Amino acid sequence: MSNDSSDRSLSSVITWNKDVKVMPYALFGVVALIVGAVAAIMTLINGHDTMFNLSPEVPWGLLIASYAFFVLTASGLAFIGGIGHAFGNSAYLKINRRIVVMAFAVLLAGFTQIGMELGHPLRLAWYMLVSPNFSAPITWMGVLYSIELLILAFELYLVLKPNPTEKDHRNSAVVGFCAMIFGVLAAATLGFVFGSNTARPFFHGSYFSTFFVVSGITAGAAMLLFVHNLVYWGRVPSSLSKTMSSLGKLMATGIGVMIFLYLWKILATVYTPAADGGYAAIRELLSGSLSTNFWGGEILLAIVLPLFLVLITKAQSMKMLGLAGFIYIVGFFFTKYDFIIAGQVPVGGDDFIGSGINRMADFQAYVPASGEWLIMLLGCGVFFTFYFFAEKILVLEKES
Amino acid sequence: MRYGMIIDLARCIGCNACTVACKSHNGTPKDIFWSQVLVEEKGEYPNARVVPTPILCMHCEDAPCVKACPTGASYKDENGIVHVNQDKCIGCKSCMVACAYDARKFMGGEPKSYFPGKEVTELEEVQHTEFSRGVVSKCDFCADRLKEDLLPACVGTCPAQARIFGDLDDPGSEVSKILVKKSGRTLLSHKGTKPSVYYLAR
Ligand code: SF4
Ligand code: SF4
Repeated sequence: MSNDSSDRSLSSVITWNKDVKVMPYALFGVVALIVGAVAAIMTLINGHDTMFNLSPEVPWGLLIASYAFFVLTASGLAFIGGIGHAFGNSAYLKINRRIVVMAFAVLLAGFTQIGMELGHPLRLAWYMLVSPNFSAPITWMGVLYSIELLILAFELYLVLKPNPTEKDHRNSAVVGFCAMIFGVLAAATLGFVFGSNTARPFFHGSYFSTFFVVSGITAGAAMLLFVHNLVYWGRVPSSLSKTMSSLGKLMATGIGVMIFLYLWKILATVYTPAADGGYAAIRELLSGSLSTNFWGGEILLAIVLPLFLVLITKAQSMKMLGLAGFIYIVGFFFTKYDFIIAGQVPVGGDDFIGSGINRMADFQAYVPASGEWLIMLLGCGVFFTFYFFAEKILVLEKES
Repeated sequence: MRYGMIIDLARCIGCNACTVACKSHNGTPKDIFWSQVLVEEKGEYPNARVVPTPILCMHCEDAPCVKACPTGASYKDENGIVHVNQDKCIGCKSCMVACAYDARKFMGGEPKSYFPGKEVTELEEVQHTEFSRGVVSKCDFCADRLKEDLLPACVGTCPAQARIFGDLDDPGSEVSKILVKKSGRTLLSHKGTKPSVYYLAR
């Protein structure tokens, strides 16, 4: 039995927020989680062939994209939390609990995606421990994101500790800063999983490490804008307007940097099509089988619309910021999906005599199967359930 | 010792005997090909022809698939052969994306029968025990046959004798002698993977 004072201290973090109307989201999460879990179990029983539409031409499909989508957003959130701590930015510190809970939930969602994408998820932990290959970038990516999950779990504990002492505050600042460093490192290393690949020229190089980090931070800001609008049903309290406006500006800046990254990557490749710099992939994006995704999903949804909404409202309208955040998140998903698929255009060209026959057709035949979408839904379910129940029972806002 | 192969494109008639010999010896399940012949149509009727190019794992000296494998399931043995240890493979497929030659295949379900609507035959059943689900597999130059001093199945079966196999490190081997006389080229050599499979021009 707890006494009065510990009750009060516990109630500073654990409560039942009557005014926070997030149960519909949490219940959506539960339904998504159950449907997704059924798909996951069926995949474990039947194997990838019956549930996924992967092929030798496109061995990495939707789930690698959704993995990148989730974990890069988590990195971005950790980055924003880290800025709060590093620069004592009160606008971000105010929502620090929310950031940590969200980053943790999104990262968990990401882990479900890679887990289901693997042919043998259970072997992963064992062989990564007993015989890790440290020259494989994917090993480091796994290690860094696992560390990130632990750091976020620890930070979660620190920020939710009732009656935190001065020392706890200092510790949580240090841990938050570490989460930022490891989050960014992990995102850049995920970029290097592709950047280290010499077989696929579109992937090769340092470009995607940068792009992943920048677009991930932008996604973190977008996610916070969107979720705040969900939590308050479009009426974000004025005490948070400075925070939201600052996030809107961060998002717009991120999109601005992305425009540069896109422009020069595309120009450099198109200008020298013979240089084996991924011209076939860019062609597929600009005018080939992925062009609707690219122009509609990436350019319109990840760049033009959200940027327009933030600029036109000078980042002051909470509702518009929430909408811009939502649109960016959808666009951000396209940036990852297109990237993963375009990069796998069949290698070869002239040097691979005989390659011109069916390989493009096989490549273009990749459309995610419903099983893959359901596993992605599992990821969304994990996020919605974990995050919105946390909103309901935890005190996620504090004064400073 | 570094095993290697020469494929003489001037001799290859595109008969796919290698494809079948590979399947028959290794018992690779349906849709899994370790040895393939790519076919390109050239020209227009009546001046048309097909141009075959056999491909298989190139057993690259600087193998990107081995570097990319997180668990060490993909490894290179002392004879230069690149293997996959199926028990260690977690099915992450990074090796497939790292390989420019399409040499690796992922098995995402139970092996299927080659005969539509029929169960797997007894032979298939026995052969399929070598393949586990959820992992990647690939050509190993028929390492089991090499141990018994036999040539890889595709080499032994080629009716046009378009495939020559041997030790690239031994200056006296047939492969080395041919490569001194005729310049063989490797596919996608600019990728820098140093394949052990050489092609002689048509
Ligand atoms: S051809 Fe592909 S699978 Fe074979 S060694 Fe080279 S990279 Fe590895
Ligand atoms: S799929 Fe298997 S062999 Fe290929 S990189 Fe992953 S663990 Fe290694």
